[in-house]
Amino acid sequence: MSTDAGFIELNDINMRFGLPAEALPVVLQGIDLSIAQNEFVSIVGRSGCGKTTLLNIVAGLVEATTGTVTIAGNQVRGPGQGQGVVFQQHALFPWLTAMGNVEFGCRKADISKSEKREVCRQLLDLVGLSHAADKYPRELSGGMQQRVAIARALALDPEILLMDEPFGALDELTRIELQQELLRVWDARKKTVIFVTHSITEALILSDRVILLSPHPGRVFKDYQITLPRPRIRTDPAFNAMYQEIWEGLSA
Amino acid sequence: MSNRISAKDVLLGGIGTLAVLVPWEIAARSGIVDPSIFPSPILAISSAAEKLSATEVLDHMGWSLFRVFSGFLLGALAGITIGIVAGWYRTAGYLLRPMIELLRPIPPLAWIPLAIIWFGLGEPSKFFLIFLGAFFPVVTATYQGVTNVDPILIRAAQTFGLKGIDLLVRIVIPGAAPDLATGIRIGWGLSFGVLVAAELIAADKGLGYMIMHARLLGYVDVIVVGIVLIGILNLLTDGMIAWLIKKGIGRWHEV
Amino acid sequence: MKDWLSRYGPSLLVFVVLLAAWEFATTNGYLKPYRFPAPSKIAMGFVEIASEGFPEDLTIWVHTRTTVGRILQGYIAAVGLAIPLGFLIGAFSTLEKLTAPLIIFGRSIATLSLLPLVIVWFGTGELTKVVLIGYGCFWTMISNVIAGVKYVDPVLIRAARTFGVSGPALFWRVILPAALPRIFAGARMALGVGFMVIVGAEMIGTVEGLGALIMEARNFYRSEITIIGMLVIGIIGFLIASGLLHLEKMLIPWDTGLDEVRR
Repeated sequence: MSTDAGFIELNDINMRFGLPAEALPVVLQGIDLSIAQNEFVSIVGRSGCGKTTLLNIVAGLVEATTGTVTIAGNQVRGPGQGQGVVFQQHALFPWLTAMGNVEFGCRKADISKSEKREVCRQLLDLVGLSHAADKYPRELSGGMQQRVAIARALALDPEILLMDEPFGALDELTRIELQQELLRVWDARKKTVIFVTHSITEALILSDRVILLSPHPGRVFKDYQITLPRPRIRTDPAFNAMYQEIWEGLSA
Repeated sequence: MSNRISAKDVLLGGIGTLAVLVPWEIAARSGIVDPSIFPSPILAISSAAEKLSATEVLDHMGWSLFRVFSGFLLGALAGITIGIVAGWYRTAGYLLRPMIELLRPIPPLAWIPLAIIWFGLGEPSKFFLIFLGAFFPVVTATYQGVTNVDPILIRAAQTFGLKGIDLLVRIVIPGAAPDLATGIRIGWGLSFGVLVAAELIAADKGLGYMIMHARLLGYVDVIVVGIVLIGILNLLTDGMIAWLIKKGIGRWHEV
Repeated sequence: MKDWLSRYGPSLLVFVVLLAAWEFATTNGYLKPYRFPAPSKIAMGFVEIASEGFPEDLTIWVHTRTTVGRILQGYIAAVGLAIPLGFLIGAFSTLEKLTAPLIIFGRSIATLSLLPLVIVWFGTGELTKVVLIGYGCFWTMISNVIAGVKYVDPVLIRAARTFGVSGPALFWRVILPAALPRIFAGARMALGVGFMVIVGAEMIGTVEGLGALIMEARNFYRSEITIIGMLVIGIIGFLIASGLLHLEKMLIPWDTGLDEVRR
């Protein structure tokens, strides 16, 4: 998978909240990561290990106290540098329809309105929601909302998809469905994905690589390459062995 | 909470209304209460009709509606603008908030004497009062709406490269719309109340004037008709605004 | 202290600068002193009205007491009537449907439009003012009490039933507490209505009370006293409203605030 290592580079990221007073708790400490293009990386860790903060730093929504993030050699200085984000809550704009939300994401200035519409329709189609284009977020189920959110993030045509526990609030069946959907989308559109989750199973189903963060302060504790063949099966003994290994790492 | 109203509800409501009106009518006609002081609805309408022509009533009504609409419209517009500016721009918030907070607890009617001092007894002072009635609820609600927009929506928009004025126009203002709608309805109610009071105190046209003038002439029936008319207008216009709001944001926001 | 300063400092500064500008503009003739009495003149007016009174012997304290007294009489009567009636109506849906049009209409009547009628009935004395305040507060209060009772989460009632709670116990232990936030919201709104109405009602047929004071002061070209009266009305309204909010927080500590729940 790793064609050109270092598509996304995190160099010695440190993060404390609030004023730079020494007394404040350190959220992230010395994070160094190198993520290859088209790699699917999951970040796993207990609550409070700074997973979300790390993702927000890559998204450019939060500035690290020290350290740099580069994407394809360009330093991240803010959002909108090719990072599409899917949040924990769907974060759809309630006043726009599903279509409106996806169109919001499509920010290309050089294509006509009808072309734009077509691109967005295809995206809704990709997440299986072309029938719900004119529905408002509150008229959609949780799973559908999150699908729209994914389509919206894809509309930006980002090279990187950052996902912050996107399926955490969904029921088990919907979650499994969406995991498969996401893999399909990832396969079809070839994105680099950073996926934050607290579910080891989810991380194993999806990822090429699982990064384990330890809490207080958040540090990279382990970095697992997942070489299991896809599609991955939850009941596969190799899968379970891997699960066990990560679980032990998490409990250490 | 948007319960549908069934035919049964309407029937029950009708029965309830009649249960009040019928005994009242009977009492007034049989002389148990003095109809010149407690005129029954039907008696009041028929005898008021002899004293007032429909064109006269329509003229008063037209003036009242014109005043309340114009004052409300400008008051709400000013409230929305200032609320957005104070809520979105920090420095403007520092400048505007203390003044709004200081003046807000003063009921609009307490401005009557000052309005007269500033603008005299004519139309401008009434306009000013109604303006205030709409302004304060709308400005507070807008401010609140703008400052309470879900930060995750703002973040989401930022990931699409939105910033500055775009963020304000495309995210913050629609996000504040539900609060704004509440403010507009409260503001309409207040404007209406202020209108009546302003017309009672100084006017030579309008429904408020009509009933105050009827008191001087001792026409209780005209007063009753006037009160009911003002009530109906209030109800209808409020319903209309609620309908407009529902049409505007009802599909994406539960009103 | 430092937090306080950084939070309120800018606002305070703006306020002081504004007052200074106003003073300057008036004393130097940019603003007409009758229309925009200078802050210093307002301050002197306050000393006068607090010690000698305006009109003669009616100090600001007397006016305030009178106004607050009138509001409280009407308000308490209205609330005392609206709470039991509202519970009754809210508890029985048939009764609620029977009375719905009356309540909607009663609420739509502009309270001050009743002024001429109430004068015919009760004259221009105290009763008229109290009745008007009572009327305005009553409808605001009762619609909130009804809504509070009617929209108690049915899950709570079902949950209570599983513990064998029913009848009066259900009312006292489940419905009443669940309806309280809404009732308090109504009580606060009703108070606002009371303040609005009193000012209008006092402008006619009396020289006592804050509404009368501001109107009377205008007649005597004492605009600074009008402004003092307005400020006092605002301050009292603010104080009573915050007192009520405080009481609400004490009585229903579990409430997250109606504003946060029903957006």
